[in-house]
Amino acid sequence: MAKTKIAAPSAASYRRRQMLITLLPLLALGVLFAALCAVVSTKGYRLDMYLEIIFNEGVVLAIVATGAIFIYTLGSFDISLGASTLFSAALGVQTYNATGSLPLMILVIFAVAIGCSLLSSVLASVFHIPVFVTTVAMMSVLSAIAAQIITTYGGALGGISIPGEVVKPLDKPWIKIVILIAFAALCVFIFNFTKIGRRQKFLGGNPVCAQLTGIDLNKYAIIAFVMAGLGVGIGAFLTLVYTPSVNTGTASSIGMNIIVAIVFGGMPISGGARSRIYAALVGGFSYILLNNILMLLIEGNAGYGISQIISAVFFLAVVYVTGINYRTQTLPR
Amino acid sequence: MRKSIKKALAMLAASALTLTMLAGCGSTASAPAASSPASTPASAPAEAGQDEPAAPSGDPVKIGVLVADVSGEEALGFRSYYENYIASNYNVQLLYTDQLEDAAGERAAIEKFAAQGAQAIISFSSSDRAMQIETCADNELYYAVASGMLDDAQYEQYKSNPWFVGQVGPSMDTEFEAGKAMGEYFKQKGATKIAMYGAFIPNPMHVYRAAGVLVGLGATYGGASDKDAIVGQIFGDQGIDVSKVTADGVELVAYFQGFGDTTTDELNAAIQAAPDAFLSVGMATTFFTQQLNTAGIEFSDIDSFTSGNAEAMANGKLVYLAGKYSSSVGPIFAAVLDAVNGNAIRDAEGNALSVSQSYLVATDSATFDKYFTADKGDSPIFSKDVLDTVIGADVSYDDFVALVEADRS
Repeated sequence: MAKTKIAAPSAASYRRRQMLITLLPLLALGVLFAALCAVVSTKGYRLDMYLEIIFNEGVVLAIVATGAIFIYTLGSFDISLGASTLFSAALGVQTYNATGSLPLMILVIFAVAIGCSLLSSVLASVFHIPVFVTTVAMMSVLSAIAAQIITTYGGALGGISIPGEVVKPLDKPWIKIVILIAFAALCVFIFNFTKIGRRQKFLGGNPVCAQLTGIDLNKYAIIAFVMAGLGVGIGAFLTLVYTPSVNTGTASSIGMNIIVAIVFGGMPISGGARSRIYAALVGGFSYILLNNILMLLIEGNAGYGISQIISAVFFLAVVYVTGINYRTQTLPR
Repeated sequence: MRKSIKKALAMLAASALTLTMLAGCGSTASAPAASSPASTPASAPAEAGQDEPAAPSGDPVKIGVLVADVSGEEALGFRSYYENYIASNYNVQLLYTDQLEDAAGERAAIEKFAAQGAQAIISFSSSDRAMQIETCADNELYYAVASGMLDDAQYEQYKSNPWFVGQVGPSMDTEFEAGKAMGEYFKQKGATKIAMYGAFIPNPMHVYRAAGVLVGLGATYGGASDKDAIVGQIFGDQGIDVSKVTADGVELVAYFQGFGDTTTDELNAAIQAAPDAFLSVGMATTFFTQQLNTAGIEFSDIDSFTSGNAEAMANGKLVYLAGKYSSSVGPIFAAVLDAVNGNAIRDAEGNALSVSQSYLVATDSATFDKYFTADKGDSPIFSKDVLDTVIGADVSYDDFVALVEADRS
């Protein structure tokens, strides 16, 4: 009986496949961008305005999700990032209204964002419980405190705000682009060119093995949460730049959107070696583009529901496509 | 592996094709008018050259509508009036948002409407109305608040903005008076044991209504009996502290607030207290109708004229409803259309409209049906004939106020 010989894929063909699959999210982003341009132009709407709106909608999600990549790389999960953004922005507003100082407001926003993130991490370490459990608790606590602040000080307006002219000079696309690029560059450097990123991928891929080699999970978890906190701080600040007010609904959807963005960007939620910083950027803007395309195409009262269903189908399709990459017989290189 | 990649690429291609197909099936809305009337400042109405309402031909006037509630029966009533009655009687295209949750969503929606060639915005969303006005002004869109009011300081700040058309809805004073009338009704009816539901206090609307109820019942709160002092204390307490309520001949036996699904125990405790009446300042008809009907406790609410409330009044224990009706948002549409047509209505000082609109009150099914069934048909309370009296070049501020404030009962 003749034996069937299974040839191992050559290194070159493996790299080609990896490259192709790696580029799929970028390809999808390009397709979505082209589709948006086509739809907007077909309808006779102003494309320049739409592109700016979509950038404004996507930039906060992309930045917060980029910071969150460090947490997701560890195979962990943080559902409190939206609440943390709301809480940081609320305290920032209160600080400005008490002091009239923009630098102090920014300082408080970043201190609170990083502090909240660290608290989740430290609580998990102290009580030896999964990080995502502490983040669920943090989400409830931060939302409740923020709601209390907003309803107490918001009075008849139902929200708290700073004068629009304080942040309006900063509400320029080029400023946001610079911030986005700077933060992404910082994250890429830490993630790809230092041992922090490599060890975090190792911890996410195989935590037992990583710890047996002497890698301290708590240390790298704290670093991950600091980076996520930094992203939340920038996100909270840009939220105030876009609209100088905070109400209980502010940033409420960010927590879930981050997961969608990361998946759309082609990164596995389980983290590990296939984690990529750019997944958040690509996925965040892809998700916003998809939403806007669907909103434009499906008008009327049923539009929202249909858009959600189609988004869910896309979500599953992307998970399937990216999942192909994980079902190889070869370990990731 | 290669097969899998082909599958993946096929899936992407299919997705792209799906999008293309959807594009083909989508709305074929015409391109925005080349010369948008919105680019004409309100200060130069004559240059717009349109004295009459937009004729039902030519490019429709595009109006964006911001909504924070897409499923409530009241919100659907407003939408039905605009989409089914207004859109078929005037040459307008009404563009609706999805459910807006925060100020960022409101700003993005306004900018998208601007990109779509809208000429005006009517807002039912209140996360940040100051930002809404500023965004509309930046994009040269007329802006109006429907079914609500800015707070006094905000109105003062923006009333001279030429893009701010105005606001029509219950003012905080009207909310207080609505609560007061409800309290007085039950006091005159002889109710002595009262249970009260504060809805979403510290939501300002509910705070003012609750203060009105206490005054209507003849109660003092923390020793205070005037509106402002009571309102201030309720804001401070973030609710009503039953121990601070004092009233001759009336006892507040239970009080609670919050979402219906989180207040089951409080509702049961209130029912156990066997009150003569259950007074709500909002949302009780959504959350508690069945339980109160079963318990046989008469109740009241400040809500809207909906089919659910019609049933509760006809066959349940709902005995008093102060409510909005679907066509109550008609006058603000007329004001917006006037502004787009270059005939913006301003007061004597050139300020934006600010007209408080009262609730209609029903205490029996016949009255309820008059406001509900009739308003839904082809001749709503604010019908085309009525609205046309304030659409045109010769409409004065006083004409508009008279229309809104006329007794509709």
